[in-house]
Amino acid sequence: MDLTFHGITKRFGSVTAVEDFTLTAAPGEFVVLLGPSGCGKSTLLRIAAGLETPDAGAVRMGGRDITRAEPKDRDLAMVFQSYALYPHMTVAENIAYPLRIRGRPASEIDAEVRALAERLGLDGLLDRLPRALSGGQRQRVALARAIIRRPKAFLMDEPLSNLDARLRLEMRAELKHLQRELSTVTLYVTHDQAEAMTLAHRIAVIDRGRLLQYDTPWNIYHRPANLFVAGFLGSPPMNFFDHGEVILGVRPEDIEVSREAQPDWQPARVWVVEEMGNESFVVLHAGDTRVTVRVPAGARFDLDQPVWFRAAPGKTHRFDPKTTEALG
Amino acid sequence: MKTAWKYALAALALALALAPVYWLVTISIKKELDQFAYPPLWWNFAPTLEHYRDAFGARSFGRFLANSALVAAGSTLAALLLGVPAAYGLARFRWERLSFWILSTRMLPPIVTIVPLFLMLREARLLNSLLGLGLLYTAFNLPFVIWMMRGFFDEVPVELEEAARLDGDSRLGALVRVVLPIVRPGLAATAVFCAIVAWNEFLFALILTQTEAAATLPVGIASRVTQYEIKWGAMSAAGVVAMAPVLAFAAAAQKYLVRGLSLGAVKG
Amino acid sequence: MTERLRLPAGILWIAPATALLVALSVYPLLYSLKVSFSTEAGGFTLSHYARLFQDRLFFLAAAQTLLYTAVALVVELLLGLGLALLVDSLDTGRGFFRAGLLAPMLLPPVVAAVVWRLIYNPQFGVLNGTLRTIGIDTSRLTWTSGAGSAMFSVILVDIWEWTPFLFLLLSAGLQALPQEPFEAARMDGASAWRIFRDVTLPLLKPTLLLAVLLRAMDLVRIFDQIFILTQGGPGFATETVSLYIYRTAFRFFNFGYAAVMSIAGLVLTTLFARALLRLLRTR
Repeated sequence: MDLTFHGITKRFGSVTAVEDFTLTAAPGEFVVLLGPSGCGKSTLLRIAAGLETPDAGAVRMGGRDITRAEPKDRDLAMVFQSYALYPHMTVAENIAYPLRIRGRPASEIDAEVRALAERLGLDGLLDRLPRALSGGQRQRVALARAIIRRPKAFLMDEPLSNLDARLRLEMRAELKHLQRELSTVTLYVTHDQAEAMTLAHRIAVIDRGRLLQYDTPWNIYHRPANLFVAGFLGSPPMNFFDHGEVILGVRPEDIEVSREAQPDWQPARVWVVEEMGNESFVVLHAGDTRVTVRVPAGARFDLDQPVWFRAAPGKTHRFDPKTTEALG
Repeated sequence: MKTAWKYALAALALALALAPVYWLVTISIKKELDQFAYPPLWWNFAPTLEHYRDAFGARSFGRFLANSALVAAGSTLAALLLGVPAAYGLARFRWERLSFWILSTRMLPPIVTIVPLFLMLREARLLNSLLGLGLLYTAFNLPFVIWMMRGFFDEVPVELEEAARLDGDSRLGALVRVVLPIVRPGLAATAVFCAIVAWNEFLFALILTQTEAAATLPVGIASRVTQYEIKWGAMSAAGVVAMAPVLAFAAAAQKYLVRGLSLGAVKG
Repeated sequence: MTERLRLPAGILWIAPATALLVALSVYPLLYSLKVSFSTEAGGFTLSHYARLFQDRLFFLAAAQTLLYTAVALVVELLLGLGLALLVDSLDTGRGFFRAGLLAPMLLPPVVAAVVWRLIYNPQFGVLNGTLRTIGIDTSRLTWTSGAGSAMFSVILVDIWEWTPFLFLLLSAGLQALPQEPFEAARMDGASAWRIFRDVTLPLLKPTLLLAVLLRAMDLVRIFDQIFILTQGGPGFATETVSLYIYRTAFRFFNFGYAAVMSIAGLVLTTLFARALLRLLRTR
């Protein structure tokens, strides 16, 4: 089952949240909607869910138009950012709810709930209320509730953003494994580019309601279609150099630096060194431009030390300053 | 449910709620003959202000009005003066048991205390006095003031006062200069509510003010009803006058009434 | 050697309010107790208590009060909930409807009673008048003047006047509910009815409890409306405990017996509240 947005436009009063958005998620694909806060990605997810109706355009699933269908008729499951568990129901009741309202026999429901709980590491918690659970546990209950009905698609709205850093990494891996196993098409919303890179089959980069690029993580990273995409992905972000008619972009890991003057290399001074343990970043000042360079761990630089740098051959991105599109 | 039906239903409920109020107003401006006409005249009648003239003409009416206003204002002020510090104390010092006891006095049916209060006030020579009634209304409204204001105070972060006190202010100063301005809407809503309660109150006023000189508006209206010849026109005019300030106040404070009651609902 | 009394911090904040409340709420209660055991001359007697157990009228009044409370409470709760859900689901004009629907409970109860007395008048009132214009025979509709229909009529007034209170309370409760479980339920596939039953009601329970308790407490001490509408009549048909106590104390000046009834009323009210709480906690 594939999931398609076709020309979706949505306005809230005078604000256009989404503008003529078209995208197809293939069956079994994990598609990440990536963008800064307020870019419209959550709105798109809610339109897919049926919690909002678009002003124009259509949503299709497996060829069937579901634009105006009620959420309950779409057979989609959603995992909310704050999990949206039923506060007055136990873990078991929360997970069972989708099956209960479909009238499945109690014994069947019970068996499925237990099996799923075990798979997600929730057995032993089945009688607890949500308020007695940790964030990660609530997260997994929300997942279980979404999975149990074997929906045609998963919609996830920043499900990891309320977890602390370490738990987030753990759950990220679990999510990826789960999705690859279930092979259900998934739309995943996040503003975290690391999450997007590690989870997605394809990333849709969105800014101000528009789709900027839709491609594999590798292509998005190495062949950004425009300035925004280039600057949004990558940590630390790409270095930009404004040369009037063209804007050049080079990633920190693609810059070579030398303590001795080299022909055609740019001069600069060391401004600050950030040691991460497994690698280091040196921030240089070249004129009034700041340049961030990745260097191996243990490389020693002194404050204000003069150095020379250049972009590794073939690693320079070029952008048109007016259209912000990538050139060549 | 279709939207049109929803609005129709809501409109119907509104009509049922307001019809008697509307009817009261029409009675107050209809000539006596029209008041009991058949079929009932909802709008096609010639209005007259004679009943208002009658009502205001009677000296006692002015007295009732003044008494009600004085007692309402006075008791509200007193309830706030006593209640706000108490609410603040409860919110910041967290005496849960005391809090519970105070609020449970609201549960006390007035009928239980009315007899001894009557006797007590009689001894203290405070019967038939606005002071006695005012004291009583203050005690009435105190639990409510404390309940409401405590909820509002709970919402104000302590850090604000702590910052003020570090800057050199006293606790009382911090309360007045920092906290009160923040809870001003809540304060206003509470005050409005207290005034309404005092203004509408009947039982205590009935029992504790036996003379015309001290009676409040509800008592004045009631005394006219229990007589044989009821002048409905003047009565309705008095009724309209009695209800007008309440409706006006409430309309202004409507948003905050809901919020105040919702605080109670959420915190239980 | 006497120790310096260490007052807990901040007692000044709460002292004046507490003093007033003790003086005018707690002390009278104790005073009432004393009066219930006193004769006219000031001596000790149990005769008032003895009288209570033989007083058929008191128990009749209590039963009628209970009937009044139960019927009014159930209807007001259902109507209030219905209205709260209805108004909450409107897209615009919520504030407008809310403001208008509040009007009945804001009026001085005396004024409300006066209006309804007018409305209920069998010959000239607008209720029978309107019914007559649409062809209904009103000769037997005596409303508050007839012993059979008086109680019902009085309850109707209470419903009109106080449903807005429950509407307000439940509305506030509804608004305070978190939105996400509802969206989750829609995604899970629940119909509107199921959402109401499985999500709305359980989450609303604390508010419902509070609403019922508050209203029930006010209902058992009902006085104002009945005083104006029927004075407890015709006969004893709409007599409630409050009215009976009032009459005993301030028409017959039998303070001792009135005090006893007040205390009995308090006891009954507390028991009623407990029973109500237990009933609602389990549902």
